Amino acid sequence: MNHPVLSVVGLTKKYQSIGHELTVLDGVSFQVIPGETLSVVGPSGSGKTTLLGLCAGLDTPTAGDVVLGGKRINELSEDDRARLRNEMTGFIFQNFQLLPTLTALENVLVPAELRGEKNIKTRAEELLKRVGLADRTDHYPSQLSGGEQQRVAVARAFMTRPSLLFADEPTGNLDDQTATQITELLFEMNREYGTTLILVTHNLELASKTGRILEMKGGKLMADRAN
Amino acid sequence: MAWRDARKNYKRLLLFAASMISGIAAVVAIDALNQSLQGDLNRNARELLGADLVANSSKTFTAEQINIFDSTKLEGTNAAEMASMATFENANQSRLVRLNAFGEGYPYYGEVVTRPERVWPKLEEGGYALVDESLAIQFEVSSGDTIKIGNTRFQVAGHVRQFPGGSGILQTFTPSVYIGYKDLDSTGLVQFGSRITFRRFMITKSDNQTALVEKSLGPVLKKSGVNLETVEERKKNLGRAFASVYRFFTLLAFVALMLGCIGVASSVAIYAREKRAEVALLRCLGASGWQAFKIYFIQILVVGSVASLVGALLGLSIQQFVPIVFGDFIPGQVSFEISWLSALKGFLAGILVCILFSALPLLEVRFVPPLSVLRSEESPVKKFSKAKWLIIFLMFLFPSGVASWLTGKISNGIFFTAGMAGALVALWLTAEALLWLVKKYFPINAPFTVRHALSGLFRPNNQTRLLMITLGLGTFIIATLNIVQNSLLSQVEFQGSSNQSNAIMFDIQSGQRKGVGELVSESKFPINQEVPIVTCRLTELRGQSVEKWKQDTTSGIPEWALMREYRVTYRDSLSGSEALLSGKLQQFKPGKPDSVSVTISEGFQETLKAKIGDTLVFDVQGMPVKTVISGIRKVDWPKDPPNFIFVFPSGLLEQAPQIWVISTHLEEGTPSAVFQQKLVTFFPNVSLIDLSLILKTVNSIFEKVGLVVRFLALFSMITGLVVLAGTVVNSRYARQKENILLRTLGAGSRQLTAITLIEYIWLGTFAALTGMVLALSAGFLLCFFFFEVSFSVNLLELWWTYFGVTALTVVIGWLNARGLLHLPPLEVLRREY
Repeated sequence: MNHPVLSVVGLTKKYQSIGHELTVLDGVSFQVIPGETLSVVGPSGSGKTTLLGLCAGLDTPTAGDVVLGGKRINELSEDDRARLRNEMTGFIFQNFQLLPTLTALENVLVPAELRGEKNIKTRAEELLKRVGLADRTDHYPSQLSGGEQQRVAVARAFMTRPSLLFADEPTGNLDDQTATQITELLFEMNREYGTTLILVTHNLELASKTGRILEMKGGKLMADRAN
Repeated sequence: MAWRDARKNYKRLLLFAASMISGIAAVVAIDALNQSLQGDLNRNARELLGADLVANSSKTFTAEQINIFDSTKLEGTNAAEMASMATFENANQSRLVRLNAFGEGYPYYGEVVTRPERVWPKLEEGGYALVDESLAIQFEVSSGDTIKIGNTRFQVAGHVRQFPGGSGILQTFTPSVYIGYKDLDSTGLVQFGSRITFRRFMITKSDNQTALVEKSLGPVLKKSGVNLETVEERKKNLGRAFASVYRFFTLLAFVALMLGCIGVASSVAIYAREKRAEVALLRCLGASGWQAFKIYFIQILVVGSVASLVGALLGLSIQQFVPIVFGDFIPGQVSFEISWLSALKGFLAGILVCILFSALPLLEVRFVPPLSVLRSEESPVKKFSKAKWLIIFLMFLFPSGVASWLTGKISNGIFFTAGMAGALVALWLTAEALLWLVKKYFPINAPFTVRHALSGLFRPNNQTRLLMITLGLGTFIIATLNIVQNSLLSQVEFQGSSNQSNAIMFDIQSGQRKGVGELVSESKFPINQEVPIVTCRLTELRGQSVEKWKQDTTSGIPEWALMREYRVTYRDSLSGSEALLSGKLQQFKPGKPDSVSVTISEGFQETLKAKIGDTLVFDVQGMPVKTVISGIRKVDWPKDPPNFIFVFPSGLLEQAPQIWVISTHLEEGTPSAVFQQKLVTFFPNVSLIDLSLILKTVNSIFEKVGLVVRFLALFSMITGLVVLAGTVVNSRYARQKENILLRTLGAGSRQLTAITLIEYIWLGTFAALTGMVLALSAGFLLCFFFFEVSFSVNLLELWWTYFGVTALTVVIGWLNARGLLHLPPLEVLRREY
């Protein structure tokens, strides 16, 4: 059996609110093997995004463990977690999250440049061509439509050939037609690159495209089923 | 609503307030200082002169003139002033001083403040001298020490701390030694050729009597070369001198206020832009455009009023310090009266600034469409309104109005405003050009952190141009001062050139010439020049008497050039610092008195509007000498002095009464001190000008002027830094978003820190470059056209200016942005930006 690319054991996250403690994630455990596609679904406030953030090392849990690529990320410093994210993961966000002062091509280059890689322009251009933006490389985000911005974000996510791709409501800000195009693109590229995909969504149609679904409610993992 | 909204925005409103405070404080401080100075000038005018009337002459008073004085039956006393060498025997050193000899009774008004107290009357006893405090400090002279002036030794009775009408900056040039008038003859310094101003101070019983004496005797005395000065004239002269100082300070206040206005306008503009979403919501809930405007306008007006009050009070405090810092530039003593009128004027000006410069950006708020709640990119429904045009018109009128009020003249106001606008436009163009170059030659192969930081300059709301202009203005002022100072000083520096003269001995009598020459040679110093000097006056120019030229108001020839005493020399060749520009060298054919040709220096030829072939008649010690201009010389004045306006040919003036000047190059150290010592001992009437001392003095004056100019630059920098702090606060969310995103994508703390620091280094660099590019151009133009000296740049000083501006920018930027580096990256998933 393949070693899991991500192991989550008894993950708990609590926040101190005025006068009381708020548990947003309560003892969640699961494993993800390489190449798997998985979606996390549930109503608003069920803890989906918190779970994604903790899995990606964007925040620290109150209790429990996250092992990413064989490393217990709770034990890593913030900078080491950043390095691990850069080496292993890619991200796609609901609100695209492009740097407004950089062109489409420069945005795609960022993760590789943070790594200090050289001679990467051709790869970034190929990725932009792959997402259908070969003629928009020099455009700034403000000059692109929402769908085009998300295509740039997809290209950026695959720039470092990540083992694991985190997508947070990737079609949430797009119209139906564009959302369908982006979904197809995301799954096609995921297959091409053999990436493990963890998708957070409340869109069950989108979730149905993944091989496995985790259902969250009130911070607890209610179901973990194959699709 | 205005109050409730302001509670959460106090940080941004603080920045707006800071811009107001700095501008108003400057205006109040300068205006209050002016009020004090004007008041003091009126109260103490008599003390500035020391008497009711003073007669000045460059020669000893003749018997006829003394008879005229006596005929007035006015009480009076004599005085004389001249340059002389003084030997401080305790330190065994000599230097050139201004020797002031005063008769009994002076000053009739005011008091000479001395240490120990009240030792001034000792001068009347004879044998005593008082020295300026600067000399006392330089040579560690104290009461009881002796100084030698000419042939006489004087016992030092004390130091002069304050002299009626004395001006600090003059004393820096040549500090004074004071002796009794009756001791003057014993020094042996009053000889032929000595440049001495003789004075007679007189007191009258009333202003009427002063006017009567001046009216009846003034013209008679003037004909015989004596100029009569009254308190009123002195006041007028001082007023003129003071007007220049005041104009300079006014310019300083004006620039500070205008920078404050820029700060106000920019901070309110950003504030209004940020409030768009809030305004859209209010409009959705039923608020009218004017209601929305009023909410923010009331906030700004309240904060602006408080800031104006604080600025006015701060200005009054600064006023107390200005005389301490800039005392040397202010004639007379300044009292520390608080001018509440200035504070009130400043407060009202502040309210006006607040209304005018905040209204324009706030007026936009009225037109924010309610649809912006749904789509933030929705543009205002209306771009121009009558109110907006009115505000724009008043904004343009305001600087001219303020400058006219400050200077008391509308033309000055317009001139100031045009100058300021010109400088800002030039800075803006330079900033635009630099940013264009950055985009065109973007370093695409540089490391990511460098490129990303550079592209941060183009971040929305980053106010890069405004920062480049405000910080650039400060840099421009400092760098221009440095360039001009450096260019001027490089003209009088003697370093490296061992042959060039750095010391001049003058007032050498013909009989002393050989002895002084031998003393120079014995001391193993070179004799670079040994030139005779003959004094003469111009009586005719191009066949017309100077009196007629004086009456001709259309000639454009200044009176002083016609009436001055010329010190000329004679020789048949050019000196090392001269070149013949046109015509022929001066010549004379013995036996033909009409064949005398002279050469004139380039600059003075323009002053006299003379050309080759023009005739001049000189009165050489009573003998008329007719000459023709045969050539024009280019003279490099600072090089190898002495240099001359007119050079006569040999063979004509040899028999005329004359004095000699010898120039040499003294090496620093003991031999030079020993030589000067011997010179004063054997030739007490000979004065030695140490040019390196002049260099030091020029430098020290520049340092003082520089202090004032840097003060102005400081205001500009403070405004720039206030805008910078505001920009960082206002672009905080954009920066935060970027940092979090980069962290999510894998950026380490070091990379984020580097990006932030490099961005501010870029900003500082471009702001400094904006100022420096303009300073280099302005410095070159000033040197070439105004000072007429060669352009010289000290790269090290410019480098320090650049470093200072950049370091300040980085520190302020970093202090405001450092909190943004350590946010947990999970925010990126939660925040709606």
